[in-house]
Amino acid sequence: MRFCPYAHRTRLVLLAKGIRHEVININLRNKPEWYFTKHPFGQIPVLENSKCELIYESVIACEYLDDAYPGRKLYPYDYYERARQKMLLELFYKVPHLTKECLVALRCGRECADLKLALRQEFCNLEEILGYQNTIFFGGDCISMIDYLFWPWFERLDVYGIADCVHHTPALRLWIAAMKQDPTVCALLTDKNIFLGFLNLYFQNNPNAFDYGLSC
Amino acid sequence: MSGGSARSLGKGEACPPRSAIRDPRRPSDACWGQAAPERSHAGGSAPPGQVPEGLIRVYSMRFCPFAKRTLLVLKAKGIGHEVININLKNKPEWFFKKNPFGLVPVLENSQGQVIYESAITCEYLDEAYPGKKLLPDDPYEKACQKMVFELFSKVLTNKKTAFFGGSSLSMIDYLIWPWFEWLVALELNEYVDHTPNLKLWMAAMMKDPAVSSLFIDPKAFRGFLDLYLQNNLEACDYGL
Repeated sequence: MRFCPYAHRTRLVLLAKGIRHEVININLRNKPEWYFTKHPFGQIPVLENSKCELIYESVIACEYLDDAYPGRKLYPYDYYERARQKMLLELFYKVPHLTKECLVALRCGRECADLKLALRQEFCNLEEILGYQNTIFFGGDCISMIDYLFWPWFERLDVYGIADCVHHTPALRLWIAAMKQDPTVCALLTDKNIFLGFLNLYFQNNPNAFDYGLSC
Repeated sequence: MSGGSARSLGKGEACPPRSAIRDPRRPSDACWGQAAPERSHAGGSAPPGQVPEGLIRVYSMRFCPFAKRTLLVLKAKGIGHEVININLKNKPEWFFKKNPFGLVPVLENSQGQVIYESAITCEYLDEAYPGKKLLPDDPYEKACQKMVFELFSKVLTNKKTAFFGGSSLSMIDYLIWPWFEWLVALELNEYVDHTPNLKLWMAAMMKDPAVSSLFIDPKAFRGFLDLYLQNNLEACDYGL
C-alpha cells in the first residue's frame, strides 16, 4: 500500500540495493481473498520470490533482502555493529504506535498533548544516541539499514501534523535533513498533497483512499 | 598443603572455612561456564571488573527464561564464558550502565562491548563464534526461523490485549490454553513469572467456566505422564 510506513521500509531497501522488483498494492480496507494465502492476517509488506517463498514482517523482509542479494550491504559486516543496530531498533519500538495515535487523535479533533509528550521523550532518547555517537546517521557517518528502518515515520511527521515534536532535538533534525539528501529516500518521497488527499479519504472511510493520486 | 612448615591448629582454634578448599583437578568454574551457583549481585554491590581476555560474560538470573536462551547458545556452541547473576528484585545501580533497560540477559566481552535483548545476544554469539552454526546460512531459511520467532514472541508478550483475540476470551485462547494447562499441572507455572502479561492471561483463563470445569488434576496428570513415559498401555486410563 503506497502510504504504509512498514511497506515503505521494504521499498527503501529494494531501491537502495538496486533489486529488480514489482509492486502489487493491496486495498487494506477491502482485501482480496487470495491475499490471505500470502499472509495469515492479510498484513503488508510481504515479499514473494520466483520460488513462491514468502517473507513477512518488515524488519525480517529487509534483512532477508540484505542477505539474499549482492551488492551494497546495508547492515554492517562487523558482528557487534550489526547487533548494535538491532538494539537501536528496540529503542524505536514505541514510535510507530505513538505517531499513529497522534494522527488519529488530531484527525478526530481530540487532544493529544500527552501523546506528543511521550513521543518527544522517545525522540529525546534517539537524540541522546546521536549525541553520544557524534555521528550524522544512526549507524555511523554513512546511511545504513537502521536509518532506512527509522525513516518512514519521520517522513510522515509533517503530514501527520506533529513536526513540532522534533523542535527540541537538533541532532535528529540534522539527521532528517541528511536523510532527505539520500537518493533512495528522495526517490520515494511522497508528495505532501497526495498524502494529505489519502489521509482525508482514509479518515472518511472511503475505500478508494489507497488509490488517491493515481491517474488511471 | 605443604607438609612441614604449616603451624598445627590446636584446641580452641577455628576450623578453616570450606571455601578455602580448592580442588586443583577441577578447571576453574568461571572458565568453562560451569553453573557454579553464584549468588546474585544486588543493590549496593560493587561493579564487576573487566571481562578477562578469551571469555565472554553473561549477566543472567538463574530462573529467567530469556537469559536461559543465551546460556543454551553459549553451551551449544562451547563458548568459554562467565556468569554474573543479577538480583532482579534489587538491581545493582551499576547494572543500568550495562543495559539501560535493566534486564537480563546481557553479554559483555573483553573489549567492553555490550549486547542485550535475548534474541540479539543469541544471534551475535552464532555470528561471532566458530563451530556449529545454529541459524541457517540460507537467507530464506533464516527468515523463516525469524518469522516463527515473531509469532512465538507475540504469544509470550501479548502486549496489547488481555486475551489473544482481543479484550475477551475467544477461539485462539482455547487453542493455546492446553499447553499452559500442562505447566500448571506440572507445577511449572512459576516460569511465567517473568512474562507478566502471560501470567495475567493464565489467571484469567483459569476463571473461565469451560477451562475450570475441564481442569486437569495435577496428581492424575503426573500419574498419567509417569506411565506414559514408561510406554505403559494403561497410561490413558490412569485414575479411572
